[in-house]
Order: sequence, then C-alpha cells, then structure tokens
Amino acid sequence: MNGTSYHPVLDPTLAPPFPKAVLPVLRNPQLRKNVAHAIDVIQAKRSRLVAEKVDWQELRSAGAAIREHSLAHLGAYLEQFEVRCTAAGGTVHWAADADEARRIIVEILRQENASEVIKIKTMTSAEIQLNPFLEAAGIKAYETDLAEIILQLGHEEPSHIVVPALHVNRSQVREIFAQSMGIEDLSDDPKALTAAARNYLRQKFLTVPTAISGANFLVAETGSVAIVESEGNGRMCLTLPNTMITLAGIEKVIPRFQDLEVMLQVLARSATGERMNPYTSLWSGVTPGDGPQRFHVVLLDNGRSEILAKNTERQTLRCIRCAACMNSCPVYRQTGGHAYGSVYPGPIGAILTPQLMQMNHAQSLPYASSLCGACYEVCPVKINIPEVLLELRSQLVNQERGKAAKFFDPMYLGLRAANLIFSRAWLFHSAQYLGRVGLKLFTGKDGWIHRLPSVGGEWTQTRDLRGLPKQPFHGWWAARQKEGR
Amino acid sequence: MRASLFITCYNDTLFPETGRAVVRLLERLGVELDFHPKQTCCGQMHANTGFRGEAFCQAKRFVRMYQDVEAVVIPSSSCVAMIRDQYPGLFEELGNEELRRQFASLLPRVYELSEFVVDQLGVDDVGAYFPHRVTYHASCHGLRGIHLGDRPARLMNKVRGMEQVSLANLDRCCGFGGTFSVKNGEVSSAMLAVKLQDVMATRAEFCTALDNSCLMHLGGAMHRQYAGMKTIHLAEILASTEAEPAEALL
Amino acid sequence: MKVPSDSRARILQQVHAATQKTENPGDLASTYSSLPRTYVRAGRLSATERIALMIERLREYDADVVVTIPDKLDAAIATQLKASGRHVFIAAEGLPASWMTDGFEWKIDRNLSAAEIETCEGVVTGSFGGIADSGTIVLHHSAREGRRIVSLLPDWHLCILYASRVVETLPEYFARCDQPPVLATYISGPSATADIEMTRIKGVHGPRFLNVIVVDDLGAELNIRQQGKEEISQGKST
Repeated sequence: MNGTSYHPVLDPTLAPPFPKAVLPVLRNPQLRKNVAHAIDVIQAKRSRLVAEKVDWQELRSAGAAIREHSLAHLGAYLEQFEVRCTAAGGTVHWAADADEARRIIVEILRQENASEVIKIKTMTSAEIQLNPFLEAAGIKAYETDLAEIILQLGHEEPSHIVVPALHVNRSQVREIFAQSMGIEDLSDDPKALTAAARNYLRQKFLTVPTAISGANFLVAETGSVAIVESEGNGRMCLTLPNTMITLAGIEKVIPRFQDLEVMLQVLARSATGERMNPYTSLWSGVTPGDGPQRFHVVLLDNGRSEILAKNTERQTLRCIRCAACMNSCPVYRQTGGHAYGSVYPGPIGAILTPQLMQMNHAQSLPYASSLCGACYEVCPVKINIPEVLLELRSQLVNQERGKAAKFFDPMYLGLRAANLIFSRAWLFHSAQYLGRVGLKLFTGKDGWIHRLPSVGGEWTQTRDLRGLPKQPFHGWWAARQKEGR
Repeated sequence: MRASLFITCYNDTLFPETGRAVVRLLERLGVELDFHPKQTCCGQMHANTGFRGEAFCQAKRFVRMYQDVEAVVIPSSSCVAMIRDQYPGLFEELGNEELRRQFASLLPRVYELSEFVVDQLGVDDVGAYFPHRVTYHASCHGLRGIHLGDRPARLMNKVRGMEQVSLANLDRCCGFGGTFSVKNGEVSSAMLAVKLQDVMATRAEFCTALDNSCLMHLGGAMHRQYAGMKTIHLAEILASTEAEPAEALL
Repeated sequence: MKVPSDSRARILQQVHAATQKTENPGDLASTYSSLPRTYVRAGRLSATERIALMIERLREYDADVVVTIPDKLDAAIATQLKASGRHVFIAAEGLPASWMTDGFEWKIDRNLSAAEIETCEGVVTGSFGGIADSGTIVLHHSAREGRRIVSLLPDWHLCILYASRVVETLPEYFARCDQPPVLATYISGPSATADIEMTRIKGVHGPRFLNVIVVDDLGAELNIRQQGKEEISQGKST
C-alpha cells in the first residue's frame, strides 16, 4: 500500500499492539459506557429469542455443518457460482489480493465513466481500504448505511462489524451531521438525526448510477447474492443504479438457496436479536427491466485460501459476520473495537486479522483474550475461537522463540525455566522454597505482597498477592504421612 | 473408593489450605486418598501461552504418573479443562501410539472435585456447616469448559447455616485468564473492576468458586482495596463443619 | 469488458490444494445431502393459529392489517385506499384491474422511471406469501408483485397476502419454492436502524407505511376475521 490509509487506526500494519491500544480506551468512561450499552441491548434481545427457539442448538449444528461443507468443497462451489452467475448475466472477477480487487473495481468504474458510487455497508471494502483508493482515482464514494455515514462524515473508524458507530453518542452525531450536512437547527434526537440522513441520501439513491455492495451470502446453486439489512439503503443501492459491483470474500459462498433457511435464522438472531431482519434481498445476475443492468462480482482471496489449508484454522472462514462473539466478549466489552487495530475486531478479529496478515502483523491479538469461551458458546456456526487462538499463540511462539531478541524476554525466560522446574519434583520444590524466600523481600507484615518488579508488576498494579505460605501442600502431606496420620 | 489427589502447581505453592480442605472433605466421605509426591504441573500455563512442546513434556509426565490409579481428583476446573480439551491435541500432534493409548485410558478417570463428589461418590450433602453469607462465581473453565452444570449448586444448597446470594452476571469472566492477567494487565484489571462491582453488590462475606485462579485475582483486588470481603475455595466451605471450621475462619 | 487474469487459475488452484484432503468431488451431492438437519422443518400450528400469528407479527412491527375473504377483496382494497388519504398510486404491471379502485390516479408500472415513481404516494402489490414465525412478507417480483422499485420508492405500500400462501416456518417457505426465485425481497419489519445509541428508529428508507390485507382463502374461521376486524384496523394514522 502506498502509505495512505483510510483507517490508520484500523490498519494492522500500523496499529499499536493491543495492550497499548487499550490504554486510552480504558480511561474513557463515555466510550466504555457506549459499548456496554450497545452490547447489553443486543444481548438481551438475542437471549430472549434464543430461549424461545426450541431448535437453536440444532440450527447451530446445521449452520456449522453447512459452512464447513462449503469450505471443504470451496473450489467446486466457487466454480458453480461463477457458471450460474455468468449465465444469469453477471460478470465474475477474481482478485488474489486487496490491490487487485481495488484495481478491478476502479477499472469497472472507469469503463462506466463513474465519478461517484453509492455503497452498501461492507466490511470487505474496508478490509481492502477501497475508499481512499477510489478517491485517489477521482471517484467519490458515498456510504449509505447510517453508521457508515456517521463514520465517513465524522472521519471516524468503525468499532463493531454490525453496529460500527456504537462508540459515537447522539450529541456527537448531531455535531457531525450539523456540520457536514449544513443543517442549522438540528436536534440530537435520534429520530431527527435519522430523518436528516434520509433526506441527505434520497437524492444520491436516485441519481448515482453505480453502486458497490458486499455480500452476506453467495449462493452457488443459483449464482445469487443475498444482502441482509435493516435500513433499506441496501435495497436502494441494489435496485436503482445501472451498475452494481459486489465485492465478496471467497468464503461467503453457500451451496444452495435452501441453505438460507438455516443461515438467515441464525444470522438475524445473532446479529441484532431479531427473528428476521427488516429487509433481505436476493438477486441473480441481471433481470431485464428490474435493477442494475450491469452486474459484477469481485471474488476476493486476500489470504483466505491460505487459512483454508490449515486444519484448525479453517473454521475461521465459517464466519457469517454476525458479531455475536464480540457482543458476548468480556474483553471487547471493556475495550470496544478500535483497540484491535483492525476492521475485524473482537474474538473473530483476534483470529482472522493476524491470519489475513500471514501472522506478520496483529501478533498481539491472539493474546487479547482470557479464553473464557463465551464467544464459542454463542457463535451460530460453532467456530471454536479459543481453539484457534491457542493454535495461533503456538505459531507465534514458534516464530519468535528462535530470535535473539526474545531469548531474554522475561516471559520466554520464565516459561522455559518453569518447564525445567516442572520436569522434576525436586526442582519444583526447590523453586518453591527459593521463590518463597525471594518473595519475602516483597512481603509486607500482613503477609501480603503489594508490589512486584518486572512482569510481576503487571499483577500488582491493581492486585495484592498473598505471600507464599511457609509449607506447601506437598510438605504438609509428607509430614502427615510421617506422623502416620 | 480410592483416589489420587492432583493438587495443581499453584494450589501446592499458594493455597495449601485448599488442599488440606480437600483431604479433610474426601476422607470424611470415606475416600482412601493418595498423593503422588512427584507431581508438579498439568502444563496449562505453557499450553495457553503457546509453548506447546513444553506443555507436552508436562502432559506426558502427568499421564505416566497416574496410569494405574483408580481416579484422579483435581480441585481446579481449568486444569481439568486443560486435560480434556488440550491433551488430546497435544498427544495427537506430539505423542506416540503408546502415550496416546495411556492418555485415552486415563482420561475417563480424571475428575474435577465437584464432579467427583456428586457423580462418583453420589453425594450432595457432604455434612458441611458454614454459617456465613456467600456468593458463588462460576469460573469459565468450569462453566463452559467442563460443563459442571448444577453440581456446585447442589453441593452448596446442602451446606448448613450458609446464606447464598446470587451473583449478577454470574457467567461473565473475571478477567484472570492465566498469563492474560499480566500480558494484558490493564484489560484484566478493567474486567476485574467490573466483576468486583457485581461481587461487592452481593454484600456477601465470602466469594467462592471452584478455581483458586479466579479467586486470587478477585481476592487480590479485594485485599488491595480493603473491600471487606474475602475469597475462599468451595472445597474449604465443603470441608468446614461445626467441629472443624474452615481454616479461613480461625 | 472483463480482463482475463491468471488470478482465477491461481486462486482456484490454491483453493483446491487447500481442500484436497477434505474434498469429495465425485460425491458432492451426496455429501451435501447427508448434512445434519435436525432443526425444525415444519410448523405445528393450525391454519387459524398460523394466520393469527402472521397477523400478530405484522402488527408488532406496526403494519396495518385487515382480514377479508376473496369475494370482498376489491372492497377491502378500496377501503384501505380511501383511508390512506392518498390519491396517486402505482400499480404493479400485472395487478388485477379490479384491485385498482376507481376514483384514484393509477400509474401502471410499464417501466416507469424513478422520477415518475417518486410522484406516486403509494403502491399496491400482491405477494408470493408470508412466513408467520417472523412476520415476513415474501415478494418474488412477479407481474402481480411488481418490479423491486415499485415497492421501494413510494412511502405507502398495500400488500395483498393470501392465507393459503402463509407458512409458519422459514424452512417451509423454502420447501414451497419449486425453484429458487431469481429476485426476492423479504420484508420483516419497517426499515429501521439502531445505529445511534441503539435507539430503534423506524422508517429510514423504503415505505414507512405498510398495510396488509390478509385474504382468507382457506375458509378459516370467523375467529380470525373477528380478531382481525374486517373494518379498518385502528392504528396507524398516515
């Protein structure tokens, strides 16, 4: 990339590591409150609906099976999609990486003489940093999803994949709209703000002839695209313009139309806590007289085929972008999305982002988890996120451990030493004794440790540690044996 | 019934009173308890930090050590989760035919403490007496890892004199997460602060759980803040009787 | 238009290589058909209950719902149109003539431009069917249902839904599709957003007013119709 980053905060090649990135957030009560509130609302709705759905676990099983099957036969289904989509009047392009995807899209737009595009929200376009590239090519991209407008006009970054502006409160939105839409007397009532957005967009929908979308699902059997939304801006963008370009990761494909009976049931409940989202649209290629007469699909690899090849990691690609994982995550709850330094935050982001970067960036993300498993419990396609996190941690350690710099890293040293210590009981017992004696220096009169150096200091910044007892358990047992109970 | 106690590396070093309580409890329930003197660690810390080779060394040692026992009882759900969830992968990847066989044969004989008492001993009422107000935190590994379900509740409900207060957001992680607590110390502390709010709101005298890892994290903050509440492992509550109250009460 | 690239070949080659251990190319169809589907595939409600549920769900999201019988459909439409206070309507190209009540201006959608459709105050369409569990109205955009644009731009949408076309569960809808639709729109609520502080605001884009006439062609009970109220259901002012 040539150095211009649309989301510098969310560029994994530039973002600070997670433990650093969280610091300003943790000190921001407003942001933490916004995040917790948004999460609580969705979670409450989701819980209610899941409780009423007697076959919820069966749906999850089917969802996982369908997605796993799709991935296991991805080549065949992608080829089928291409054939069917083309037969229906669409044109299918293949982009090996972000750069190629951007170039393909710009090329299509140039051929259309497009100077503007309207966009349906798609995280995939943020992943490839499309908007600044379009800008550089003289093409203005207008986001039409309310949250995306807020972010675009406010020069903000998305912090959640379903409700990307959840970190922005109403008065901040009012500020952004009043300024950029030039509205004088705008109240901060969400109703008024939404009305302002509706008016602002109406003309765009009616006049801009080119649109870009993502895809929630690509249906191989029919060459169709499914778009799941709430606002109706999607319907506008996929109906009114002359040309539609759909950008989709190759993993989005599902085998058959019928599979939507599972995917739609689990997606709506997981993402927004509804039985069904307000509008779902499905189209196949081009229909004369109805909707865009020129339709392109850009299939994006950008690292996905590499993830596909790995046993444990493949399940990462099952993701249907519902965000239930981040809504359930106790870490995300405290940090929001920006701290992850990626357009994909939260638990799924912690496994997807480093992998899309071939493990060269976002290396702190697999550690941004306490492994509590809440994400796995809610994932509608049963991605065992903790399992993948552990696998990635192991890969990172293997990558790092040979390096000279890491040899003297206290954590690496400590873990190597600990392994040696655990290999022999007498080493373990000696270490316990030495540890207790050493820690005596730090143990106060009340028998507690209030401050430790180095790595230990991370503990003691907010917690005390009880001083090591004089007699470890094994010593007590041995003594008891001697006494003959 | 015979069983071998795997105390865990951190309980041995930091919480021997929990071990003593487990012994008192199980012997009271008629278990002939053994303790292998050479035990050290199950390998969880290494596995969770990405040091799989090292974790396997410890896993091997564990499996060899307990080959011939009737049952292994472990007062730590995270260690049991390690053995059930991660040992299979480790032995598959790094072990040989024989080790895999040994592991497979041992696995069904490994129990977390409350599982052992409720399922193997078939007991809910362990004869405990603990006349205090207590709240229970469901450790993540116990809750989602090994699915302890209602076992802890069944045991707690039979403790005489104990007043239970339920914890809001019971299933929310306390933020310990092993090395997470130091690798991401600030986030861990933020999660801890939020958890502590719920715990303190119960106005209990004690917060209990089946894992001392969570409890040292919660208890460490309580102590730092002079919060006026203490933590105690559930084993110590269950071991407590009128005649022999828990050490924490003395 | 499309520049042939070797990216296609490369990507497919990588994908096939990545999945060679798990692929079962000779047997894709049978592998697919043995995927576990133990979720609920069929509803349990009686027809009356099903229609009642559909109506309940529609009303939950503020759709105006009335029930009628086939013989009285034209009159019911007339009533709804009159109550709307609107005068200029767009009709789907295949809309039955009797549905286009006299006394209103009707623009028949023979490829009308967006600008022309913008002058219409409301639209009347048929529907493919409904899914009661989620209160979903299904449009397959046949001639009677109209092009997608006609049920999108106007602010007021009157949708005719036949009781015999309502199923209880989503899988049952799929089972009813002899073949997959080329175009489909599934409406399960008013346009809504919760992007600002999670406050649900309705009516962002798309018709803000949805009126549904449920046509009881099942001979289902008086019960429903009384619940549904044959007269205009009280509720939404325009």
